[in-house]
Amino acid sequence: MTTTLTQTPTAATARDLTRTYGDGDSTVHALRGVDLDLPAGRFTAIMGPSGSGKSTLMHCLAGLDVATAGTVTVAGRDLGGLDDTALTLFRREHIGFVFQAFNLLPMLTAGQNILLPLELAGRAVDRARYDQVVGVLGLEDRLGHLPSQLSGGQQQRVAIARALVTQPDIVFADEPTGNLDSESSAEVLGHLRRSVRELGMTVVMVTHELDAAAYADDVVVIHDGAVTAHLTDPGQDQLVAALRGRSA
Amino acid sequence: MRGVLLASLRHHTRRYVAAGLAVVIGVAFVVVTGMLTGATREGLTADVGAPVAGVDHVVSTDDQSEAVKLVDTAQERDVPALSLGYAMEPVARDGVQLAPYANVSEVALDPALQWQDLTEGRFPDAPGQALADVNAAKSTGVRLGDVITVGSGDVATEVEVVGLVDSPAAANASLYVPWTDLERFDDTLWLPSVAWGGSPDLAREIAPGATVETSYDWTAAKQAEISQGVDVIALMALMFVFIALFVSVMVIANTFAILFAQRQRDFALLRCVGVTRRQLRRAIRLEALALGVVAAVVGIVVGAAVGAGLVVLVRHWFSDMGPAAIDPLWAGGAFVVGVVVTLLAAWLPTRAATKVAPLAALRPDTGVDVRSAAGRVRLVLAALSLVGGGLLLAVSVATTSVPVMLVGGTVFFVGVLLLGPLLVPALIRLVGRLAGRGPVRQLATGNAVRNPRRTATTAASLLVGVTLTTAVLTGLASSRTELGREMDDSYPVDGSITAVDSPLADDLVTRAGALPGAADAAALDGTVASIGKVEVPLVSAERASGVVRGRDDLVPADGVVLLPYDVIMELPRKVGDRVWDDREVTVTVDGRDRTLKAEPSSGWGRSGVVSAATLTTFDASPQPMAVWVRATDGADAEDLRGDLAALAGAAGASVDGGYSNRAWVDLQVDILTGAVVGLLGIAIVIALIGIANTLGLSVLERGRENALLRAMGLTRTQLRRAMAAEGLLLSAVATLVGTALGLFFAWIGVRVMIGSVIEDAGLSVPVLQVGGVAVVAALAGLAACVVPARRAARVTPAAGLALD
Repeated sequence: MTTTLTQTPTAATARDLTRTYGDGDSTVHALRGVDLDLPAGRFTAIMGPSGSGKSTLMHCLAGLDVATAGTVTVAGRDLGGLDDTALTLFRREHIGFVFQAFNLLPMLTAGQNILLPLELAGRAVDRARYDQVVGVLGLEDRLGHLPSQLSGGQQQRVAIARALVTQPDIVFADEPTGNLDSESSAEVLGHLRRSVRELGMTVVMVTHELDAAAYADDVVVIHDGAVTAHLTDPGQDQLVAALRGRSA
Repeated sequence: MRGVLLASLRHHTRRYVAAGLAVVIGVAFVVVTGMLTGATREGLTADVGAPVAGVDHVVSTDDQSEAVKLVDTAQERDVPALSLGYAMEPVARDGVQLAPYANVSEVALDPALQWQDLTEGRFPDAPGQALADVNAAKSTGVRLGDVITVGSGDVATEVEVVGLVDSPAAANASLYVPWTDLERFDDTLWLPSVAWGGSPDLAREIAPGATVETSYDWTAAKQAEISQGVDVIALMALMFVFIALFVSVMVIANTFAILFAQRQRDFALLRCVGVTRRQLRRAIRLEALALGVVAAVVGIVVGAAVGAGLVVLVRHWFSDMGPAAIDPLWAGGAFVVGVVVTLLAAWLPTRAATKVAPLAALRPDTGVDVRSAAGRVRLVLAALSLVGGGLLLAVSVATTSVPVMLVGGTVFFVGVLLLGPLLVPALIRLVGRLAGRGPVRQLATGNAVRNPRRTATTAASLLVGVTLTTAVLTGLASSRTELGREMDDSYPVDGSITAVDSPLADDLVTRAGALPGAADAAALDGTVASIGKVEVPLVSAERASGVVRGRDDLVPADGVVLLPYDVIMELPRKVGDRVWDDREVTVTVDGRDRTLKAEPSSGWGRSGVVSAATLTTFDASPQPMAVWVRATDGADAEDLRGDLAALAGAAGASVDGGYSNRAWVDLQVDILTGAVVGLLGIAIVIALIGIANTLGLSVLERGRENALLRAMGLTRTQLRRAMAAEGLLLSAVATLVGTALGLFFAWIGVRVMIGSVIEDAGLSVPVLQVGGVAVVAALAGLAACVVPARRAARVTPAAGLALD
């Protein structure tokens, strides 16, 4: 196991994070004592094959799921001991999401979808921020459209805009290109990277695609519920070796 | 395919619960109706043959004199015979009236014909003795050995109660007297048939115009006649069953439509692996059939249990009810209805579901998109129905034709239902906007209008119940207002104590006014007059204006006397004829005659009413001769009458008054209102199950979406609130439209049905009742989403995102 600690401040930390489902003989260990520090202001990819626990790790880090044991700290706040409502309010304030599918509410327009998190939180809309985000993602002339009138790539861009507009401490993206063709994928990944570079966001992306991971600054490799590598600015070869090393 | 069918039924059992429940309620409703009418018929037809059990034949005739002659001749020649009819006469004891109109029938002196079921005492053995019905005796306080006066005027006679009997419903007389006593009441006697123990030839010889039939045939005909009456009631109950089933069809069809939409990918997958469209359709219909059969069987069991319980309960209060039993015909009919309703409801959704292309299974799962819009055909049909129905309703108002109104109303209502997918979402948006702009409310409004057709059907099922309930409540309230006005005119005085031949005590008015149930009392001065040798108190009502109801204040012009019909009947024929023909009557007080104009009327007791000035010309110092009482609203009629009778009895005066009649009419309207609302309530309950069902199934459908919202910061409470708001919006809009439509229909109904009898009949809206229905329906909609909302909120975001 190679863990590379960075000098930048951490956006999220996991210590001895364990998550099991079911009990008795049918117990599934999705995460087995994960220790992880995610640096702020960087684009990190969490990679691993299906069933490796990468989605569970993301859900726990994002406060969508509750750890069985261990601690999760996001934006300096220990998520353990928060009840459902407190977790929800925390997510509202500090975390943004982009999912693989079902990302948008079908009955709201693109613009309404982007503003939804602010509305839920009852926060005032920062017009400048909104315009900036919409501009960066190139959605100016799509704002009045319903999701069904948008292409897959456009839908994901709306989802990214929605995640960014609240200026969260960390954005989690779960297989954001899973449903897209390669051209749209490149476009979406490029936007995610720009949001880190130009808007100073912290983005954590779960993916199983090597091409997608190539857009990231750092790559965390997870296998059978444990982190097996945390690479900073890896080259293609380094990445392949880290992944292959596990599957051997 | 059978394996697939069974597996899918097992898998989706819980989703079918609501649809099944709707069928169960509908079927149980049919079974309960069958059991109640069966028990009623059993009770009413029981012992119909008892009075003719002792004879072989029954002689029936339209000519009453023949019937009387038959019984008379039978007595002379010692032939066994019993009159099968009754007279309606007042009954009094010690000068206090016990009943204004009691049914008096014959009890034979021949023991072979004494069919009554004696509970106490003995049968009469001579004229002047009588049997009393045990229930009538209980309510009037008549005991064995009491001597009571039957009839009034010259036909009045006294009889001694020697026995108490339990009368069956079919021969429901309060009093039984021997023929010699019964024969006196030829004015009110109704005698269609005679039980005849002699030979048919003898009967034909005495009464050539009569028909002779065996007592068996007579009993059968009589039973059929009563059955027909019960059938009419059963038919009316079935109308409400039909309404409940109509609502059920909507609920079930909606359930199937939603379930099939959710299973579209399953269906497509089946098609991919080689299931033909026809096989798929058959499998789905078999699924509906299975649901229908199971629900119908459960419905019969539930109905039988509820029916048996109700019959036992009703028998407790109403002894004429028969025992509970299930008629296999009704049970079979209910079963068929349940299954057919389910299949019918599944028909259209099934067709739509099997149209799915095999490719649909292979497309990326973009979520269930069951968007549906109002088709153009539907809009045209809706417009035609609304215009056509509106025209028919206008025609019905113009011609006061009830059938045209019913057809017009139905067509118009169908138009509104067809317009639903357009109208309901628009209204929901409007109401949603009025409610405010918060994210929760916006979310609720957006969700509520996502699938216009589904929303419309859900709202329509509630709309039916609310519309009908509002219409019936308003219609009945309007009839009650109009009836009340009529009653005010027919019965201007609620209660009266009238002196017979000497003035009343001065404190009687105070005591009458202090009675519970008396709002006001007035003493009327008067004097004793004699008209054609009949002594009649003459009073002036000028001081009773606060007591008299109706448009007429009972203060006639000078020189006019208001004479009760009863008094005119007592007068010698010549004097009576003069009143009828010339409207004149000569009144004598203290030997002085004066001829007054007479106006026959009624409603205030046994006295003539004149103006104060006219009264003074007869008697310079009139004494209190009558006390008139006005009842408080809702006073107990029996109690008030009893209390007044006690006061009157002590004063040797007579008691009368219209309050019992008013209370009786009010009670009937109350019972009718209660029954109709109760029966329509079943349709509303089914509709609410439908709302809960639609919301519950939508929750399953939106699991992913709700998880997304929760991930983005929607709290559990907010999610629950959004679902509650969605349910409330649905039910509120249905209630709103239903109340408006109901009031409109009630207005038409009042124009058509009451307007034809009473001119310028107005609409009286029972604001509290209608408001109550609206509030209950809207709140019930809120209650209906408690379970779905809790279930939706319980799912953690992570689990929701993992759903497929």
